[in-house]
Amino acid sequence: MNRKKGDKGFESPRPYKLTHQVVCINNINFQRKSVVGYVELTIFPTVANLNRIKLNSKQCRIYRVRVNDLEAAFIYNDPTLEVCHHESKQRNLNYFSNAYAAAVSAVDPDAGNGELCIKVPSELWKHVDELKVLKVHINFSLDQPKGGLHFVVPSMEGSMAERGAHVFSCGYQNSTRFWFPCVDSYSELCTWKLEYTVDAAMVAVSNGDLVETVYTHDMRKKTFHYMLTIPTAASNISLAIGPFEILVDPYMHEVTHFCLPQLLPLLKHTTSYLHEVFEFYEEILTCRYPYSCFKTVFIDEAYVEVAAYASMSIFSTNLLHSAMIIDETPLTRRCLAQALAQQFFGCFISRMSWSDEWVLKGISGYIYGLWMKKTFGVNEYRHWIKQELDQIVAYELKTGGVLLHPIFGGGKEKDNPASHLHFSIKHPHTLSWEYYTMFQCKAHLVMRLIENRISMEFMLQVFNKLLSLASTASSQKFQSHMWSQMLVSTSGFLKSISNVSGKDIQPLIKQWVDQSGVVKFYGSFAFNRKRNVLELEIKQDYTSPGTQKYVGPLKVTVQELDGSFNHTLQIEENSLKHDIPCHSKSRRNKKKKIPLMNGEEVDMDLSAMDADSPLLWIRIDPDMSVLRKVEFEQSDFMWQYQLRYERDVVAQEEAILALEKFPTPASRLALTDILEQEQCFYRVRMLACFCLAKIANSMVSTWTGPPAMKSLFTRMFCCKTCPNIVKTNNFMNFQSYFLQKTMPVAMALLRDVHNLCPKEVLMFILDLIKYNDNRKNKFSDNYYRAELIDALANSVTPAVSVNNEVRTLDNLNPDVRLILEEITRFLNMEKLLPSYRHTITVSCLKAIRVLQKNGHVPSDPSLFKSYAEYGHFVDVRIAALEAVVDYTKVDRSYEELQWLLTMVQNDPVPYIRHKILDMLTKNPPFTKNMESPLCNEALVDQLWKLMNSGTSHDWRLRCGAVDLYFTLFGLSRPSCLPLPELGLVLNLKEKKAVLNPTIIPESVGNNQEPVNSTNSHGQSVGFQNTFSNSQEEEEIDMDTVHDSQAFIYHHLNMLERPSTPGTNKFIGKMIGKIGWKEQSSGEMNMHPVSAAPLSVFSKESNSSKHSDHHHHHHHEHKKKKKKHKHKHKHKHKHDSKEKEKDPFTFSNSPASARSIRSPSLSD
Amino acid sequence: GSKHTTTPADNYYLARRRTLQVVVSSLLTEAGFESAEKAAVETLTEMLQSYISEIGRSAKSYCEHTARTQPTLSDIVVTLVEMGFNVETLPAYAKRSQRMVITAPPVTNQPVTPKALTAGQNKPHPPHIPGHFPEFPDPHTYIKTPTYREPVSDYQVLREKAASQRRDVERALTRFMAKTGETQSLFKDDVSTFPLIAARPFTVPYLTALLPSELEMQQMEETDSSEQDDQTDTENLPLHMSTDDSGPEKENASVLQQNTSLSGSRNGEENMIDNPYLRPVKKPKIRRKK
Repeated sequence: MNRKKGDKGFESPRPYKLTHQVVCINNINFQRKSVVGYVELTIFPTVANLNRIKLNSKQCRIYRVRVNDLEAAFIYNDPTLEVCHHESKQRNLNYFSNAYAAAVSAVDPDAGNGELCIKVPSELWKHVDELKVLKVHINFSLDQPKGGLHFVVPSMEGSMAERGAHVFSCGYQNSTRFWFPCVDSYSELCTWKLEYTVDAAMVAVSNGDLVETVYTHDMRKKTFHYMLTIPTAASNISLAIGPFEILVDPYMHEVTHFCLPQLLPLLKHTTSYLHEVFEFYEEILTCRYPYSCFKTVFIDEAYVEVAAYASMSIFSTNLLHSAMIIDETPLTRRCLAQALAQQFFGCFISRMSWSDEWVLKGISGYIYGLWMKKTFGVNEYRHWIKQELDQIVAYELKTGGVLLHPIFGGGKEKDNPASHLHFSIKHPHTLSWEYYTMFQCKAHLVMRLIENRISMEFMLQVFNKLLSLASTASSQKFQSHMWSQMLVSTSGFLKSISNVSGKDIQPLIKQWVDQSGVVKFYGSFAFNRKRNVLELEIKQDYTSPGTQKYVGPLKVTVQELDGSFNHTLQIEENSLKHDIPCHSKSRRNKKKKIPLMNGEEVDMDLSAMDADSPLLWIRIDPDMSVLRKVEFEQSDFMWQYQLRYERDVVAQEEAILALEKFPTPASRLALTDILEQEQCFYRVRMLACFCLAKIANSMVSTWTGPPAMKSLFTRMFCCKTCPNIVKTNNFMNFQSYFLQKTMPVAMALLRDVHNLCPKEVLMFILDLIKYNDNRKNKFSDNYYRAELIDALANSVTPAVSVNNEVRTLDNLNPDVRLILEEITRFLNMEKLLPSYRHTITVSCLKAIRVLQKNGHVPSDPSLFKSYAEYGHFVDVRIAALEAVVDYTKVDRSYEELQWLLTMVQNDPVPYIRHKILDMLTKNPPFTKNMESPLCNEALVDQLWKLMNSGTSHDWRLRCGAVDLYFTLFGLSRPSCLPLPELGLVLNLKEKKAVLNPTIIPESVGNNQEPVNSTNSHGQSVGFQNTFSNSQEEEEIDMDTVHDSQAFIYHHLNMLERPSTPGTNKFIGKMIGKIGWKEQSSGEMNMHPVSAAPLSVFSKESNSSKHSDHHHHHHHEHKKKKKKHKHKHKHKHKHDSKEKEKDPFTFSNSPASARSIRSPSLSD
Repeated sequence: GSKHTTTPADNYYLARRRTLQVVVSSLLTEAGFESAEKAAVETLTEMLQSYISEIGRSAKSYCEHTARTQPTLSDIVVTLVEMGFNVETLPAYAKRSQRMVITAPPVTNQPVTPKALTAGQNKPHPPHIPGHFPEFPDPHTYIKTPTYREPVSDYQVLREKAASQRRDVERALTRFMAKTGETQSLFKDDVSTFPLIAARPFTVPYLTALLPSELEMQQMEETDSSEQDDQTDTENLPLHMSTDDSGPEKENASVLQQNTSLSGSRNGEENMIDNPYLRPVKKPKIRRKK
């Protein structure tokens, strides 16, 4: 019934259509970190009996709601604030994850839900029946928001503008509800009017066109008026306010860049490249940038490095750099390009549902890849693809798979497509951050596979089609039903592909999109001389977690003496062996050049190869057209040929990795040759350094000549006349710069027969530091010096400890003394002449931790803790925190673990909080099967509390806490806990509805039959009266009872009864009670909801039973309202009868409103 | 001087005074006066002395302003101009026919500089400089004597020297900083061998982390000025506000407004840019409350 015409089956989950929203923030107080404003939503009912409007809102204190200027009652209920309500002894993660997914569902806008439920005043019912427009006006404020809106207020003298104080919106996925009430869905599009009144010295940057800036009457503030006429989802609305410096892009005047004071020269340099990215995307998409303007804002304490919103992007200020910085430049440009790609796909084109997210991430990632290829070259692109492929393969094999397009059957947990994971993938907000990162990675790789299948030309046509459809739809200002054309769906995308290309890509989609897992190939071969045939055997492992079976074509490239030949094998169910006929006779025709794949002909020394075989090397799936891992066996000389002569960088990198297992002089020579070859891709050469170090270590007893790479380095980078002194730095040639940086780091990994770093190497590195001279260099050498310190750290080997002596200065190893000398000087010099992004401090901290860990310096976290404090540069903090995390693990320190967890809860920077959990998860102090003194009940409780209620303001953080909990304790009840008093035997997955009924999402069906379920909305605990006292007794001591089997079975029985209004209400009441108890315990600190008395929602009072009670809620309603509103007091008067019964019945906490969450039992 | 003393300084003062009187008298004679009252001569002498003192004082200020210790001709010229004197008339006046040449002032207690090691022949005065003016200095003090000794050019030695010098300076400096401030130590029992300057949080940590240090800025200018042109601040100015402008002044004047006026005045061609952030802030409309 909500279906709109001509929108390809997009069915709004809401009984109304939002067409326009006004957001007005008229006061921002940086001192108090508070925001006051209102929103006004223009909605058109799509059903006649619309009686309540559900919106999303978190953290906001809502003062007043009016619908068409009539006061409206509303209820605020957010089950995600505290996922498991009862202070249960339940501590198993399975239980939590189910409950959390249910809680998120319960407010999921894509299911038509929301935290805020507004009753349409009865006066308007007639109006609604005619489907006439409703204007919902909500006054709200935000006080010290913990998520969604981040304030950065440096504590120093001066006005807020002088201090560089700023505020910006942030969050993971749809998080706009954290800073204003809205329909926080990517699929509900509307036009926007945004107004921000800020201090005259500040600038407010937001979405759409800045129409005008007007002073307030006192001339001390000004109001920025923005209009966004392109229909946009609330989740793509953003804001940044600060004393920004403004730079109009000299190439594109509609593009404006903003940065914090003093950084303008950096901003100018950093953004000088952006226009080229614009040109590239517009050209390949044959489509103009969809918005009339674009803004980039660079802010401090960023949530993520890049966040894309409609017509603006928010970047971390740490991406800014001057022209002297080499290493950051490509990274920053990549961020800019990523942000811009998401402007087209992600902001302008939004998604229908969460399960369509992969299309957007895939397309934006794919066109970003095309930009990479054009900008950094094919080598860099292929290297990147390989890197991404390796990452996703490793992650899927570790965790059991990433599913791009989850389909959920009927909401039953049995059908959970990701049962191997410790979190639900049904919602973005329950997703582990790492999973989401890998999800994006897989999405763009799959897009590339589609391109392989249908050609790039068709691919770009499809994108162009999506964009032109959307831009036609966006210009339909008054036909909001057309706007759903701006939403992409999986089926729509696939349809477009089949229309444009005429090809059937269904098998590909089924394999990589509808199914999780990657392919694991094992390949080996034999050459049959008699038949002149290559017998290739390709096995698959499809039983391990995260794998899947691959059936279909597989390309194999064979380099023979006579040339390179491609073969397409059909991988089938039971065929393992594949015969590939060879073209060349094994008899080698001497003096003949060997033709390569790219047509080049080269001379090769063929003496190393097998005289009987014409095979030089074999590659399986060289184009990476399967998401796979290949373990292929071929002889060492074949890998060496592949490294030297194959022109594909991916093949070269594979060969290098394979050669690690062949520590022979021939491998050494091949690697050295590659290192010296200037035409070779610099990343391959860098990789060769590390492989050479490993080979040298394996060959240590037979190694001849100077340490590996030393003479090479001397030849390349040292003075001709005095080979022990390095040339003064000149980094004009970036390839050799990267090599110069990397070689010492790799050399430091060399070990002699005693497994120590050779003295010669250490002295060599120390000399590099000593003679480093950057005075004549155009570029900064901070990264180079940082890597020299990394090299020093790499040279450290475990201290020889006699009788566990205490580490003091006296027994300090003389080599270590030299190293410490350098580190001390570097670290101290950083205080006087700090390096860019404090790279040197970061390396010094890491090196000190290495010295501690190897027993040269007493293990002590205090230095790191001081560098981890708020106020240090973020990179330094992360490095220091990493050391503390490592210390916590090695020394099993409870104190440090507590210190870290406290920081997770209290640090002002969201990224740091997230990162601590991330680092603890990656380097955990203990894991679930490990005995550790740290693993105790208090820690379990603490972490449980953290994920249950302590992180409700930040989805990413909460999921991080879940990840950590999983790493430490696993899915089931932590082993360190005592057994529960009552042996609870229950299929939690099946019956979680009973255990945690407060948060069961209402089925969509409720929308269709609002009357039926809304009865129970009458909050409430007030309904108690209607039920017998005997039932009430059951509520006593819920906390202890609820675990018990008896309790559960009792309620299971009740639930199994046919759904009647009576039972509905009973459960509702029960829940209300539980909720209230929680609330009264004072653990939660929630924003009180407005004074407007809660009233019954049901439009038709169909249930005569309850009609008596309705008036309780209505009484004195109108009279009191104004008073309440102005004083913000939350008192209600009740008739005496209710008061006696339960004095807290109308406590205004959201908890009391919880009971509206009536479980839908009809299905 | 009210007190009667006979110090050398006093003598010098009296001699100067006497010379000035002679000058005034000769000028009066030149102007056609036959005689003058003592009081009138005294007054004129006083005026002349003030005038000359002011020239000296002012010239000294000008020379010190440009970080020199010796006034040059141009300092005097500027001084005279500043005092309202038409400098161009001076040469003609100096060469006037009826001018009188005054005899050398009587030398009283002139400090005799010991005749130290004269080397070479002093240059004689040109004709227009009176003989009693000081002699030219010895030629060796201003004549260039090129030397041809081989400089230390051994590359290795130079690099070695530069490296150790820098290292010594750095070490000394950081040790000094560590000694004078708070420190941290890697060894509990020893705080002096590897003293680490204590980590101090910043109020605005990103500024030091992102902005090039002064040393780097200097290097940047030295290494390649032509290629660094893009980075210079001044180029930014026409387009948008400079750093100074953005200084959050508490006045009502808007930053943006300043900015637009700047961009308007500084280069006309940029007026074409129509960016909403460069537009002036509008005055509030006066709304009448109903």
